[in-house]
Amino acid sequence: MSNDLVYDQAPWVELYSPKQLALHQSSGIPGEKWHSIPQMLSQAASKYSANKAFTTCMPNGMNGSLTYAQTEEMSTQFAHYLRGELGLQAGDRVAVQMPNCLSLPVAVMGVLKAGCILTSVNPLYRRREMKHQFNDAGVKAIVICDMFTDKLEDILADTPIQHVVVTSLAQWFPPVVRGVLKLVLKYWNKVIPNHQLTHHTIDEALALGKAQQQQNNLNVEDYWRGLTRDDTALLQYTGGTTGVAKGAVLTHGNLLGNVEQMDTLVQGHLNSGEETVLTALPLYHIFAFSVNLLEFWHQGAHNVLVPSPRPVQNCQRAFDNYPISWMTGVNTLYSALLNEEWFTIFPPKHLKVALAGGAALHATVAERWQKAIGCTLAEGYGLTESSPVLCFNPLTDTRPDCIGIPAPATQLRLVDDEGNTVPLGEPGELIAKGVQIMQGYWQKPEETENALRDGWLYTGDIAIMHPDGRLRLVDRKKDLILVSGFNVYPNEVEEVIAGLDQVLESAVVGVPDPLTGEQVQAYVVLQDDNLDVPTLLAHCKKELAAYKVPKKVVFVAELPKTPVGKVLRKDVRAMALGQPVHSD
Amino acid sequence: MLSAFEETLLSVMMVIIMFGMGASLTFRDFRIAFKHPKAIGVGFSSQYVLMPFIAFALSWILNLTPAQTVGMVLIGCMPGGTTSNIFAYFSRSLLSLSIMMTICSTIAAFVMVPLLMQLYTQGIDDTLRIPPDQIGRLLFALLIPTLIGIWLRRKNANIGAVVELLGGVLGALVIIFLLATWVPRNWELLLTTHWSVYVAVIMVGLIGFNFGYFFSRLLGLNPQKSRTVSLETGIQNGPLAALMVSLSFTGELQQQILLIPVMYSLFIVLNSTAITIFYRKRTFAEELARDQAKIQSGGS
Repeated sequence: MSNDLVYDQAPWVELYSPKQLALHQSSGIPGEKWHSIPQMLSQAASKYSANKAFTTCMPNGMNGSLTYAQTEEMSTQFAHYLRGELGLQAGDRVAVQMPNCLSLPVAVMGVLKAGCILTSVNPLYRRREMKHQFNDAGVKAIVICDMFTDKLEDILADTPIQHVVVTSLAQWFPPVVRGVLKLVLKYWNKVIPNHQLTHHTIDEALALGKAQQQQNNLNVEDYWRGLTRDDTALLQYTGGTTGVAKGAVLTHGNLLGNVEQMDTLVQGHLNSGEETVLTALPLYHIFAFSVNLLEFWHQGAHNVLVPSPRPVQNCQRAFDNYPISWMTGVNTLYSALLNEEWFTIFPPKHLKVALAGGAALHATVAERWQKAIGCTLAEGYGLTESSPVLCFNPLTDTRPDCIGIPAPATQLRLVDDEGNTVPLGEPGELIAKGVQIMQGYWQKPEETENALRDGWLYTGDIAIMHPDGRLRLVDRKKDLILVSGFNVYPNEVEEVIAGLDQVLESAVVGVPDPLTGEQVQAYVVLQDDNLDVPTLLAHCKKELAAYKVPKKVVFVAELPKTPVGKVLRKDVRAMALGQPVHSD
Repeated sequence: MLSAFEETLLSVMMVIIMFGMGASLTFRDFRIAFKHPKAIGVGFSSQYVLMPFIAFALSWILNLTPAQTVGMVLIGCMPGGTTSNIFAYFSRSLLSLSIMMTICSTIAAFVMVPLLMQLYTQGIDDTLRIPPDQIGRLLFALLIPTLIGIWLRRKNANIGAVVELLGGVLGALVIIFLLATWVPRNWELLLTTHWSVYVAVIMVGLIGFNFGYFFSRLLGLNPQKSRTVSLETGIQNGPLAALMVSLSFTGELQQQILLIPVMYSLFIVLNSTAITIFYRKRTFAEELARDQAKIQSGGS
């Protein structure tokens, strides 16, 4: 049997539930319950209208909430504002730049209902990065949190943005609380800069939208009724960790397809209309956007938004005050939670499932979680380019150190550098085809051609498939270190270093070496000073083949990370090539 | 001496502070605290064994007057103030432990303070002593707003958070209020005050910080917990002592005794700021670790 056939026969289907199997057998054309995201949004809004949809919970417990009906009404007003008041057209790009707060779902849903294309902007972006994204996407209007208006003001003239809507973290909190919170943010935390931007506040925008609706007797459905699953919904920028960010073009069909795939994952574990989900990951990131915002809205869940999960104690009041039953997170969030006594001594008693993604979940974290918290911690795998879910662990049968099985209606292969499928059990680059795969990179034909070949998305991740179809991620292809022709996977070395109690975390990178091509270097953060380099190396030598043992070990105070907590190996490598930050 | 209006204002502020302290707590915090009997126990001992003794010993060594000794011992016996929580926050210590210690010592205060005052002010003229039952009643009265605060936070997180914030801000304002009303009117008194009183009020805080830290380290607490205990030990609830003095004495005598808590409050702000900057530097790396923590390897 050819290697292609082995993968194409999908050995993992044995692990599917009946619903997953049915979706899979529909060969990539799932039920198509909806033709566009607004249709899905509206359906859920009328079904769960009186339920709480979103609550923003500040670190001190201050909070504000919106029901499904309120979110629906306000996002409709916002759609009227964009189309009626600003005169935007279907397909125009609108940027949303804010941390998790009540304005985010209202703005995002308003943009989609208006038939416009959403582009989410990382609030931590610097001026240069913002300018790039606004120009690249051709953004006409932006909804921005008042904390970042100074950055926008500096670059606005160099962008195509014509309309600015300003909102705040405290938006739609009860009046007194809102006032106090604004004072604290402005004068104590000093995070709200002054600005001279010509703008509407989001309240003004909604009032204008409402006036448009009433005066002209407009129906919001007219904006989106014509949308199909092939229409673009989202330009999700990615690649910021490797170079210049590019916009992954995700259609309504990509995102809804992924929602349908997730439905089959959570089925049987979730009671529609009764769940409370913790959203500590930023919603501008594809993971929380698709899973927390779209999937859990569709399921009628109450989304508890934490504006910033760092330090992780910021999540404590959310766990104290709300019956959190589901949550999403990345490895760093889970490991940080496990270090908090308030979390481990009294684990949230309603918590049923924690979903992990974004970066590899360390086996030690999964193990500790199981012991201390007891509920399911299921790892999944995906990319911005795949809306994002490609693989997940079935919730009834999760395995550590495993990204699970491909989502239903996904084809998957592992290939070598020439694009030939590797035999089962051997490492190869993971490539995938399915409803959730992006259309390409926005206005980047070359990059698109490189990433999408014959409809297959080349992920750049190296994985191994077990005979039952479960996948284990080995490493990023580009992070691979080549020492005298031998492959060294940084993850493997990092896991070994993590085996030392004194180590908090580490990043292993390759730097050029005149003798061996590349050499392995380890950047290590200690949690206990009682560790020296010889001891660390002795431990590595015991556990690793000689060529994998780091040539150089540097103790550092912290590692560079992305906002969601992924270690930026690229930056570590830059650090390794320049001056070491701090060397013992 | 404080006017009747100022006394009332001080009492009202104290009630709001306790209200705010309550609102920063849940009953779960108590249960978590009791899972850590060691840290709470160490903190409790430094608060009620070390500090009263240090205060008493300083008064004795520096040969303070009986009135000043009463003021010193009272400062030594006071529970931790909400100010300590603010400094714990800024020094990146364990805020939750600091709050727990403050609350535990405050609850215990209505038993411990009368007892300790009885012990350390033996032999002092009865007119100078504060009747133990009066101390007990006052402290007990302060528990009521604390409990209402806890209840309030359970009922409504928003109101709880606003009250908590208000309590914290007032904690600092009370000290400013005390200094602003008391210092200008008693400028001469301050100028004529013997140097030994200055030494006593400054040293009681500094010695408290040091003893708190090394005592905790000796008993095996980690550096961060020890720094928290240290701050909690050195920083006493000065305004509460001032309130007690003002409610228990009048006239010239009140002024003499009040000198100690007011001067203590003045200098502890300076001392704590210095030590906080020092601690903050030391904790910085550890705090980063807490943020980005990876769990201790369970495997090996």
